[in-house]
Amino acid sequence: MLKVENLNKTFHTDAGDVHAVKKVSFSANHGEMVAIIGASGSGKSTLLALLGLLDAPDEGSIVVDDVELANLDSAGRTRFRSRGVGFVFQQFNLIPNLSAKENIKLALEFAHWPKEDRDARADAMLNMVGLDTTKSDRRPAKLSGGEQQRVAIARAFAAQPQLILADEPTGSLDRSTGQKIVELLRSAATQQQATVLVVTHDEKVAQKADRRLEIEDGVLRELA
Amino acid sequence: MRSVGVIAILAVAIALSISMLIARDAVSAKINSVRASTGNTITVSPKGFFGFSGGGTPLKATKIDGLLSIANVTAVQESLSEELTSTSTSLKSPTTAGSLGSQFGGPGASPSGSSTTFSIPVRVIGTNSPGNAVTGGANGGGTEKLTSGKAFSPTSKADVAIVGSSLASKNKLKVGSTFTAWKSKITVVGIFSAGSTFTDASALMPLATVQKLADASNQVTSATVVVNSINNVASVQKKVAKAVGSKADVTSTEQTVQTQLAPLNSVKTISTYTLLGAVVAAALILLLSMLMIVRERRREIGVLKALGAPNRSIIGQFISESTTFTIIGAIVGFFIGVVISSPITSALVSASSGSSTASNTGGFVRPAGGASGFTGGGSGFTPPSGSPSGGALHFGGVTNTLSQIHTSVGWTTLGFALVAAVVIAALGSTVATATIVRIRPAEVLRSE
Repeated sequence: MLKVENLNKTFHTDAGDVHAVKKVSFSANHGEMVAIIGASGSGKSTLLALLGLLDAPDEGSIVVDDVELANLDSAGRTRFRSRGVGFVFQQFNLIPNLSAKENIKLALEFAHWPKEDRDARADAMLNMVGLDTTKSDRRPAKLSGGEQQRVAIARAFAAQPQLILADEPTGSLDRSTGQKIVELLRSAATQQQATVLVVTHDEKVAQKADRRLEIEDGVLRELA
Repeated sequence: MRSVGVIAILAVAIALSISMLIARDAVSAKINSVRASTGNTITVSPKGFFGFSGGGTPLKATKIDGLLSIANVTAVQESLSEELTSTSTSLKSPTTAGSLGSQFGGPGASPSGSSTTFSIPVRVIGTNSPGNAVTGGANGGGTEKLTSGKAFSPTSKADVAIVGSSLASKNKLKVGSTFTAWKSKITVVGIFSAGSTFTDASALMPLATVQKLADASNQVTSATVVVNSINNVASVQKKVAKAVGSKADVTSTEQTVQTQLAPLNSVKTISTYTLLGAVVAAALILLLSMLMIVRERRREIGVLKALGAPNRSIIGQFISESTTFTIIGAIVGFFIGVVISSPITSALVSASSGSSTASNTGGFVRPAGGASGFTGGGSGFTPPSGSPSGGALHFGGVTNTLSQIHTSVGWTTLGFALVAAVVIAALGSTVATATIVRIRPAEVLRSE
């Protein structure tokens, strides 16, 4: 279970302070898919970075399965990122010189997944996201956008993290493919019992989620 | 393609450093060889003294004895050269005057060189180093070897002599024979041969004996100071000069050799700086290349960090990449360097020698252990090690010899290539490593 309380983040710029996230509090359960919608610059990507421990909050609490993350040191944050959280990016961000399967195995390596099980796990994940097995040895450049995002989702879920953070996962895909990817995230969340947070500005994507949160000027509120 | 470019540039830089190292080693070896061949001795002789053709005041033996106390001096070989004429000895010289004798040395020789009748005096050398003194020089002598009998002791005061084979033959002398000199009866204890008519016409006697009989107490006409190392010759020479004062000439080949070696030293300096420059350049090339690669792959690094890759893992990947570049560059560069080292060395030496030819023209090197003039700085049976011809004069052509340098590749060069590769890879990776550590995944991914 994810529980966020009073999360604050301010960026100090030459133009003045920017309060990107203001006293954000919410919670999400295992297997639940939550959509966070908001306009550009509303603070949704910053919130995602805080939840993924890519950035540190100024104050507030992030608890995943009763473990407080906000107070972790650098090594603890790295460890959590490798095992406790999976990322899905708009631009896929697969490692270009690795094949689809190797990209997944790399995530398993960082998560210290048993070496002898990595191959089978990678195959299972590629199977879960529905990638043609003949394409598992292809490098990202040889895959379509939808296929790359499938691989990215497989990579995100591979180490069985409690939390999946997807930042505009359909932003670079056509509508049809985007729909399939959202459905894939939805089913993976249920299947893997992971909490999935999807940041999007696409209302149709948000409607596929169990719950919808809107962020505006750093303030988060639940939509009906 | 970029990797190939980086490797190619590294290979060129490493090739240059390898060729400079080989050039430096070859030149150093040549310098050491030349310096070793010049010997480690210093000659002290009265100012203006050049055998019997010069003048000067004899050196004081007590002062010369004191040179032994100078640091790094291992021995002081003293000699006193005297001539025995028909009125002072029963010996007859085996040498005939000829026209040269009349022209240069004979009493009553006419300026035109026409011969008049005179006898060549018998040369006697008093020495405290009968077994290790020096012969040669203009005497044309070589190594003196006992053909019969034995040598006298360095401290002997006995009326004994070792005579040259020609002198012995002319006077029908054998070991045990006697002859008179300065009205004293001298016993022959040994006969030597040096392969030179002039030297074999002389006699060696204990220094103390000659000083006593020739009424030359406390006098020596030449001394050879033996130094423990070639590297100490220059400093010892200064101390010897200070000790003996202004009435003596103190010479060694060190200064002359240094002048001759100046072009090689110049090449050595150039190659050293170029070597260091090439290594630094290679490190800089790699550093900038790696920095460029890290910047280009900033997003990838951010993603890896987001996936939970520790810094050490990412840094390790980049270091292995830079090390691979460097090793391939080092291997290629090594072979190129070996191939181009010989022509580069020759070109450097030729250019450097050419620029200093003017200052060297007409100079000469007189290797240590050389005789002081036509009578020699002493006599002995074994010239000092490294003395190529017992003190013969070598005119100008030395420069030509110095330019004949042979390059070779040894384990040192290979070791250097390895160390240089490691240093280059390490230096080249430092900034890249620091940049990797500073990359924050949130910032990289936010720019998406």
